[in-house]
Amino acid sequence: MSYFREEEARSIIRDAYGKVRSDGAAVAEAFYAPEELDRLPRGAIELALGVGHPVRHAGLQPGEVVLDLGCGAGIDTLLAAFAVGPQGRAIGLDMTPEMAERTRRHASAAGLANVEVREGLIEEIPLPDASVDVAISNGVLNLSTRKSRVLAETLRVLRPGGRVSLSDLVLSEALPEEVLKSPAALAG
Amino acid sequence: MLLKKFFNVGFADIAVVERKPFGLKDLARYPLFTKEFLDFLATVMPAHRHEELVFSIVVTARKRTAC
Repeated sequence: MSYFREEEARSIIRDAYGKVRSDGAAVAEAFYAPEELDRLPRGAIELALGVGHPVRHAGLQPGEVVLDLGCGAGIDTLLAAFAVGPQGRAIGLDMTPEMAERTRRHASAAGLANVEVREGLIEEIPLPDASVDVAISNGVLNLSTRKSRVLAETLRVLRPGGRVSLSDLVLSEALPEEVLKSPAALAG
Repeated sequence: MLLKKFFNVGFADIAVVERKPFGLKDLARYPLFTKEFLDFLATVMPAHRHEELVFSIVVTARKRTAC
C-alpha cells in the first residue's frame, strides 16, 4: 500500500532525482569492484543510487539485449553495455529527463556506442513484446506504486527464456506510518 | 511479498540470490537523504532496527520458454 497517488509519487521522485547532486563515490564503492569503476566516467560513479549489483547476477552474454529499468545516471546500463559488447545493446529507461540525459552523456564519455536511452515509464515500457534478453533494475521497483504492473511489463518485453536480475529494498518488519507518509522516504 | 508478485505475473525460477541488512549507516551514503531526514528516522525507528531498517535483495527470475 502507498500513501501517495501514482502521479503524486512520480512528481516527488522526478523532482528528487532530477535535482540530486553528488561529488562522492560512497554508494558505488559499496557495491562495485574497483576494476568495474575504473571503466566508468566519474559522473556515473558519483550518481550511483542503487542498492545492489544486478549486473553481477544477470549472466550477461555477448550479443544480448539488456534493458535497465530506471537507469538513473547509467552505472548499470554502462556495465551491461560492456558485458554484452558491440554486438549487443543496453537500453536505459528512465522517467526523469535529467537522468536519461546523464546516461546518454556517460555512455558517450565511456565510448559506448551500444547504449540506447529512452525516456519513459517502467509501468509502460516503450518497447515491443519479446524484444529483450535480460532486464535489470537497481533500487527502482520500490519507487513504483504499481509494482505488479512493472513486473508484468517486464515479462512482456522479455523474450521466452529471458532473464531478470533486480536489486531492491524490502521490509522485514513494517515501518512506522510517519515514515511511510514521508516524501523523502518515498524518493529514497 | 515481492517474490509473490514475480510468481503471480508469471515468472519462473524465482530466486533471492543476495539478501543483506540495510540500516541508517547505509542510507547515509545516499545524496538523496538529508541529515534532517536521517535524524528523523533515527528518532522514529527503534534502536534495534537502526542497523536493519530494510533488506537489500537481488532477485533473479526467468520468463518461461512456452509463455
